[in-house]
Amino acid sequence: MEALMLEISTRGLHRYQQIDGEVTTIGRALDNDIILSDPTVAPHHLKIIRHSDASIELVNLAEVNPTRVNNQRLQSMLAEKLPLTLEMGRVQAQLIPRDHAVANTRPIAGNGHGKHLFGNSYWTVFLVLACLFFGGMEFFLNSYNTVKWSDLFKYVLRETVLTIGVFVLALSILERLLVNRWEIRQLITAVCLVYLLFDFISMSGHGLNYLFSASWPTTWLHFGWYLTFIPCAIALYLIHISHLKHSRAILLAILIASPIAVPSILQSQQLRTLLDDFSPAARYQNSLSAFNWHLKDSVTIESFVEQAQELAPGEFAD
Amino acid sequence: MSLRLIALCLLLSGLFSAPTLALNSKEIYQLNEQRVFQVRVLNRETGKKSSIGSGFIVGDGSQLATNYHVISQVVLEPELFYISFTGKDGQEGELKLLGLDVAHDLALLGADEPIGEAIEMSPLPPRGAPIFAMGNPLDLGLTIAVGTNGGILNQTDDSRILFSGNLNPGMSGGPTFNERGEAIGINVATARNAISFIVPSRFLNDLIEQSMAAAINDETDLKAEVARQVLAYESNYIEQLLEGDWPSLDLRQVKLPGIISPTVRCWDNSAKLSAIARYKRYQIRCANKNHVYLDGDNKFVGNLIYEYFWLESEDLNALQFYNLYENLNKDQIESKLDRDVVSNFNCQNWFIEVSSQELKSNLCRREYVEYEGMSDVLFTAALTGHSNQGFFITLIMTGVDFKATLPLIQRFLEQVEWKP
Repeated sequence: MEALMLEISTRGLHRYQQIDGEVTTIGRALDNDIILSDPTVAPHHLKIIRHSDASIELVNLAEVNPTRVNNQRLQSMLAEKLPLTLEMGRVQAQLIPRDHAVANTRPIAGNGHGKHLFGNSYWTVFLVLACLFFGGMEFFLNSYNTVKWSDLFKYVLRETVLTIGVFVLALSILERLLVNRWEIRQLITAVCLVYLLFDFISMSGHGLNYLFSASWPTTWLHFGWYLTFIPCAIALYLIHISHLKHSRAILLAILIASPIAVPSILQSQQLRTLLDDFSPAARYQNSLSAFNWHLKDSVTIESFVEQAQELAPGEFAD
Repeated sequence: MSLRLIALCLLLSGLFSAPTLALNSKEIYQLNEQRVFQVRVLNRETGKKSSIGSGFIVGDGSQLATNYHVISQVVLEPELFYISFTGKDGQEGELKLLGLDVAHDLALLGADEPIGEAIEMSPLPPRGAPIFAMGNPLDLGLTIAVGTNGGILNQTDDSRILFSGNLNPGMSGGPTFNERGEAIGINVATARNAISFIVPSRFLNDLIEQSMAAAINDETDLKAEVARQVLAYESNYIEQLLEGDWPSLDLRQVKLPGIISPTVRCWDNSAKLSAIARYKRYQIRCANKNHVYLDGDNKFVGNLIYEYFWLESEDLNALQFYNLYENLNKDQIESKLDRDVVSNFNCQNWFIEVSSQELKSNLCRREYVEYEGMSDVLFTAALTGHSNQGFFITLIMTGVDFKATLPLIQRFLEQVEWKP
């Protein structure tokens, strides 16, 4: 007789029960061979009979929420081919042969590799310190009056620590619900990386605006960040760190990114500029840069006046 | 004895040569109360007043002079509004538009038949002489305000007389009299208590003459006429500016055009900085006073504003300095007009070499929906390439022909001189 396993789907890791007797009963009552404590499962829900000729018979015992096999309602049947998908009340399970192949082992990201960002705590500490440093730098670069240490401390606490803390807390709760694990260190590392990258993108966007003498670099970076980078980063994290399946990770990434991306985009100046067909203000290129790198050539006053003659009239809004 | 005789003769001759024609305010009021009217713009549908002002009989006795701003609604919506007059004795009737002088805020209206004796016009009396403004303030009835002539104001391009009396809403378009009861001007505006403005009567004489030659009729496109007059005035104003000598002013390391016309006044506009600020900023704002009333939506055009802004710091590093510099470099035209009135701005930027320096410049223009060819222009130019010194110019002109402004911008830039 072929050895069988019942794979019971649960949040996070699955539960496996060996079926090695001739008759195995499944249900909520304590006299069953396999007990499912879900309230939608009947006291005696399903009976599995392994015949001597290696055939497997399934018999439904439940009147309420009767068993479904491969999405078909079951009275009794002889299983011709495994695996079979079972639904007992809300409980999902699979009947599989014991020698059923399992997926390849997924390596823990950076496990045992000190150089890997997610591999050890030193990187996490380093990235947190880098975030605090750049948070402080942001305050310093936007302070035009004499800087007080207490103000710097308050700013870093409010803007950097709180931002990172809120994201880490929310995402770790989400991760616990999804895969039944806490992975605080990896999450701190990931959130700090995104924080630093956001700072870099913001700064380089301004520089690119000046370089190209245009506003499209910040517009594209803004939309690219929220609509592409953030969902991709979350999906990669869920695939490589949380070890979710690709399709599930992508779906979850979109769901998680939406509450971050949608308000940020809706409130952004960039979206207003794209959507508003009228503005009483002149939207001109006012970026200035200490590095003074620009691709446009300088012109003489006469050339400027000559070119300015061709400046088209403003467009009327509808 | 002979001395006594001479003294008596002198006394008698002095008595007989005194100005016997000088009238007081009561006499001027009584002389003109049948010749000054309330001018009203009425809605054809409701028959109710939309705006009121004053007017007085001129020309052949069937013409009334008033301000353009009193009747401008008719220009915008001629199918919905019409003009009428009403006198002290209940005399009333409809008026048609005969002529406009938008630049000086004058309108000439015509009745179907003569409505009274025209008021004589006269040049301005000496500065300090008593003058009397008549009109119908706040729809309360005909009244007269007494004050003195403060002279013609060159900051308004000679188009306004300063009057020390009180003008109130509703008196616009009424006559201002000298002591002989002759109209020396037309009431037009007030700034605050006892600071009021009168349009000199010579502009009204010109308008009457022009209207006799070519009066406005039903075929006239009124908005096009208003645009033509405003653009002609503004282009002529810019030409005058370009013809004049421009004195310079110094702002730290830059020499700049100063008060380029008597119509312009410059003020220090530097913001007060806190004691812990690690930078210094200096700002000069120059603006003209000869604005032109366009209509109820746009209010005034003809602004010429130029601002200079200097920023420096020894304490801020280059990144900090440029963060601050960029944040300050966002001047705008202050009037927030709606999409029904103006187009969006179209802007373009250049790096311009000016006095061996490089200025990042933006030129923006927007157009008026109702007035073809009329634009607002915004020009900005910010110094680049210095780690702890910044400087920018903003030049704003409203209600102008875009291309007419370019020579002015060119001259501005040519007069900027960097002092190493």
